[in-house]
Amino acid sequence: MDTQANHRATEGLTRRDILKAVAAGLVIGTGLLVVPKRYFRLPQQAQTFVAKVDHYQLDIAGILSLGMQELGVTKAEIQGKRILLKPNLVETASEAPHINTHPLVLRGAIEAFLRLGAATVMVAEGPGHRRDTLAVYEESGLADVLTEDRIKFHDLNYITGYELPNVGAKTTMKTLTFPTLFQDVDWIVSMAKMKTHHWTGATLSMKNLFGVMPGRYYGWPKNVLHKAGIQNSILDINATLKPHFAIVDGIIGMEGDGPIMGDPKQAGVLVMGRNLPAVDATCCRIMGIDPYKVSYLEQADNWLGPIGEKSIEQRGETIVSVQTDFRLIDTIPAQQGIRLA
Amino acid sequence: MGSLSLRALGSVSLLRRALSDGGFSGGPGGHFQTDSTAWGILALKAYGGSEGLLDRSLRLLMREQLEDGRLCVNKSHPASYWPTSLAILAWQDSEVCRDAQQRAVRFLLGTTGFHFPRESDAPSPHDSLLKGWPWVGETHSWVEPTAMAMMALRVTGHGHHDRVKEAIRMVLDRQLPHGGWNYGNTHVFGKELHPMPESTGAALIGLAGMVEERTVARSLEYLEDEVGRLRTPISLGWSLLGLAAWGRRPSSATALVERCLANQDRYGEYETSALCLLILGALAAENDKSVPFLSISMYHDKRLSFSR
Repeated sequence: MDTQANHRATEGLTRRDILKAVAAGLVIGTGLLVVPKRYFRLPQQAQTFVAKVDHYQLDIAGILSLGMQELGVTKAEIQGKRILLKPNLVETASEAPHINTHPLVLRGAIEAFLRLGAATVMVAEGPGHRRDTLAVYEESGLADVLTEDRIKFHDLNYITGYELPNVGAKTTMKTLTFPTLFQDVDWIVSMAKMKTHHWTGATLSMKNLFGVMPGRYYGWPKNVLHKAGIQNSILDINATLKPHFAIVDGIIGMEGDGPIMGDPKQAGVLVMGRNLPAVDATCCRIMGIDPYKVSYLEQADNWLGPIGEKSIEQRGETIVSVQTDFRLIDTIPAQQGIRLA
Repeated sequence: MGSLSLRALGSVSLLRRALSDGGFSGGPGGHFQTDSTAWGILALKAYGGSEGLLDRSLRLLMREQLEDGRLCVNKSHPASYWPTSLAILAWQDSEVCRDAQQRAVRFLLGTTGFHFPRESDAPSPHDSLLKGWPWVGETHSWVEPTAMAMMALRVTGHGHHDRVKEAIRMVLDRQLPHGGWNYGNTHVFGKELHPMPESTGAALIGLAGMVEERTVARSLEYLEDEVGRLRTPISLGWSLLGLAAWGRRPSSATALVERCLANQDRYGEYETSALCLLILGALAAENDKSVPFLSISMYHDKRLSFSR
């Protein structure tokens, strides 16, 4: 599997970092190589692309193709690759289609990757609340789209797992168990929904990866991760899995009591990029949320990727041109005090 | 589709997942899975499958048992012990498995999840001290593993055990005010959450014969309203089983099962446990007495009635 590190942000030392490094070298006397890289908090750079998309009937494949081109995703890079798209399928309710990643965004991504020569594109999800994944797949409307497009859907909750050492080490979990399917793919793309969240403030491409952890090993809801700490589990999963790309569906997102009981919020955007913390930080700014006030993003900063506005090169639309405050609920602790100043 | 057709379906579809050394894979061409094997045994027993295969599967399941009685998703994940209840149900009435079953029962009786006093400002209002069973060790008690453990303990004669009585209180505490259950949260930050058919069906089986019908009337109503819309095997299977446990059999059950089976063209072949659930649900809807764990409900046996 290719790694995110191959494409991650460019890094460079600032004067302050050099002074820190020299000081550390003097203290430990054994040079810099033995000190964890993230200790220095090297400033990173990343790019994100923001597209204005008013509704789901527009040419989403074309928009995503343009975004990928802007981000330097080339035919040479995708040719022959096996691409796994991981949407956010949570629950369904007839009056709340804004809970899940819209099926037409999935269709657009499938087409965009196939245009770039992907060998296969598949869609996979393991919902945390419902054990009947197929029911969510059907009721969300995704089954209609993928059946028509002849794209395979995989239920990640019941797949046998394989263990990897927990690279993040933010929780006490020594290993993480991922679906064996991931051993047979080249690119993992987190296709999240732009939503506020009552435990984490916001749920975007990083939090979306909770859904890759099989329910067979983590339960329903994925309580092993809750007990280990939601914010730290998000970091561990992302650090260990190293996803390759993110696309966030903010055409109609969710505000208020997300990720399920909130209200629809038209933000009219698709946000994408290779670096997930950068994509999520951009989404937060669009939602009127300060990414530094979202604990897992603040911790990810300059480790898994940059979240500072100056460290993220913005392609496509500017943030200010699409920014729209998502309603926050002041009685929900995770949403208190996170509004962008 | 009658019972005979279902038996034919069982022997064709299920046997394609049977492994040569006994046991069942998660799907055609897959590897052994503990939970799939337990479900396979339950389906084999219900439709009268091959004795030889049944015997091999029972023995293989025994070999998967750990010293302390638990059965796990696999041995390298000992905390994932939710298949223990399934194994107890699968071993019921099989003499050769009696010791293994008793050890598994002792494990269940001695095991709880993670429980803690509810704080006054907790976002979820349920009584977090009430003990049921978790999916995975050291996590909270949730509705479906608790319902499965209740079925397992009741079928083995422990229906009056304090743990079962507490589990009844726990499951009732998690019932949604408008009817039905989900994975196990009724409200978060003041909003009532949505019910789910699969959780509701399992909870109704666990409670059948143990509480007055009026206690679960809204949940039965929810499931009866919902069942006609279900197209997928886990939801439909659990719903038909849950309703049958309370003596209710939708007239459309056969058509629903047929539609669900046909949907494999759309979804691909069902995972083994889902297929077995659908077979068992279909048999239950036909009032077939061979569904092993439905015998526990005794259809409102007054001797087991329990007041909250």
